[in-house]
Amino acid sequence: MTDILPLSPNQKAFKEYPKKPAKIKGSSIAILIFLTMCALFIAVPLYVMIVTSIKHMDQIRLGEIFSLPTQVTFEPWWKAWNEVCSGVQCEGVKVGFFNSLAILFPSLILSIGLSMVTGYALALWNVKWAGTFLFILFTAAFVPFQIIMIPLIILSGIIKVYGTIWGVAIVHAVLAMPLLTLIFRNYYKDIPNEIMSAALMDSGSFWRIFFEIVLPMSGNILIVVLILQITSIWNDFIIGLYFGGIGTKPMTVILANSVITSRGEISYNVDMAAALLTAIPPLVIYFVLGKFFVQGITAGAIKG
Amino acid sequence: MAIRWSHWSPRIALVPALVITAVAFVGSIGWTIYISLTRSRRFPDYTINWDEWARQYERLFKDDAWAVSLKNLLVLGIGSTLAIIFGFILAAMIEREKRGEGFFRTIFLYPLAVSLIVAGLVWRWMFNPALGIENFLHQIGFANASFNWLASPDTAMYGIILASIWHGSGFYMALMLAGLKSINTEIWSAARLDGVSFWRLYIEIIIPMMRFTFLTCAILLSLGVVKAYDIIVAMTNGGPGSSTWMPAFFALNAYAGRSNIAYASAAAVIMLLITAAIFIPLVLITAWRVRRQEAIAQ
Repeated sequence: MTDILPLSPNQKAFKEYPKKPAKIKGSSIAILIFLTMCALFIAVPLYVMIVTSIKHMDQIRLGEIFSLPTQVTFEPWWKAWNEVCSGVQCEGVKVGFFNSLAILFPSLILSIGLSMVTGYALALWNVKWAGTFLFILFTAAFVPFQIIMIPLIILSGIIKVYGTIWGVAIVHAVLAMPLLTLIFRNYYKDIPNEIMSAALMDSGSFWRIFFEIVLPMSGNILIVVLILQITSIWNDFIIGLYFGGIGTKPMTVILANSVITSRGEISYNVDMAAALLTAIPPLVIYFVLGKFFVQGITAGAIKG
Repeated sequence: MAIRWSHWSPRIALVPALVITAVAFVGSIGWTIYISLTRSRRFPDYTINWDEWARQYERLFKDDAWAVSLKNLLVLGIGSTLAIIFGFILAAMIEREKRGEGFFRTIFLYPLAVSLIVAGLVWRWMFNPALGIENFLHQIGFANASFNWLASPDTAMYGIILASIWHGSGFYMALMLAGLKSINTEIWSAARLDGVSFWRLYIEIIIPMMRFTFLTCAILLSLGVVKAYDIIVAMTNGGPGSSTWMPAFFALNAYAGRSNIAYASAAAVIMLLITAAIFIPLVLITAWRVRRQEAIAQ
């Protein structure tokens, strides 16, 4: 049932193939041209974002959206970081940046810690109702957020975390738990039985086996899950919007507020600089750790 | 001693996850279903009048904005299947022409790392009639070109579809590429030896072999479409009028805009039903597939 999650310790997302001998045929050229055109289509928004963010408004008003800046300016970036208004607060997207960072770390620790231990217990220990529980988790991973949002808002009000950084972090951890548990469980279930029985003989307790054997083996999956979680927490909008209070809203919410509800003359260059600033952290992760990123995204597919 | 204690440890370790599942998922879903039968407005009111328990649902299906939301759900769902097709074409091309695979994969996948809010804002800027792509098209000589899709209720959804395709096709490409690479290499060489034409190879052999990958993609896409919210907020905020409302947008608007939690809950319950209608086939297909693989293994 849970096998659509395509991760296991020895599996790579993409196999390496030997290179074909270099002899370019006509069909190859056609394919390369087609792929290049598609790549251009995909790359255009990033290009537009970057050039718009370093143009003066005078040039933008000419309406040449694809042209390179005649005069490069970094003022929009400075304004976006320091001055952009979100509602009545005009302190730039940097407020959101630091809020997002403050949300990110506790969310990561809570969600990964919890799911790792749960996945380990379900995969390697004989728990009678493990199958049923896994099925419920599998179902829970698909549930639309709206159906649990209002009760979660009320609950987080009861435990006095609504509107705080911790409130947002806890909701992230709760929502990620089913999927991450399934990912960890699928990874750990391939640990050979011999290792587990040897460890048990060695009077290994639940926690000792976890810290001395399982945790050191989790390097690969940890990177994949870390990237998946960093990206989805950083890019989240709904949770930040409905659980963040005044001064604790993440960067995406500050960005949306400042661009969508801005009044008066619109500075498109500042808008695009603010959008880029929000997009940079996950983009950097993507370009640096691309391979793991793909695995994470595929594993987190059902999160939608 | 340690061994005996260890029998309890896994169970204790599972307690937090069990509590979260019971409260935040099972309990919360139950609560929302219950509230959808009440007349709660800003605050929960737990009395149900059983004579008119379906009140919120009756209201919902008389609401024009809800009808628009459901229609847009279909429109976006059908429109975004282009992302799957596009993703498959890209994957097939990359797989066939191995040169530049890493480069193209990197480009096609980067939109996934960008949040939908950012994606929506860029596309909104490019759809800008006076300064965006429309203006560019006019300048290069297409005087009648119209790319101001977001401004008209008739075309705004197409704008959202375009942005969704841009954002999602890389993901489907990655899934398809993994599917293509799992196809036995002998099939390619056999097809070449037999002189099977390019089109026949793909349409009659490869695509049928990859039907599970296609199904998985279609189901993941549908689940994503039901949840579509961020991109709408960023691109049109539901407008013009309510022409780009979607169920997720409707439910959150009923909660935050109209402060009516019973109405919002009713919309959320329908979303859950739609998700279930997509999810149950997925479970059945996966179960069937596992059984088939086991049968082959024996």
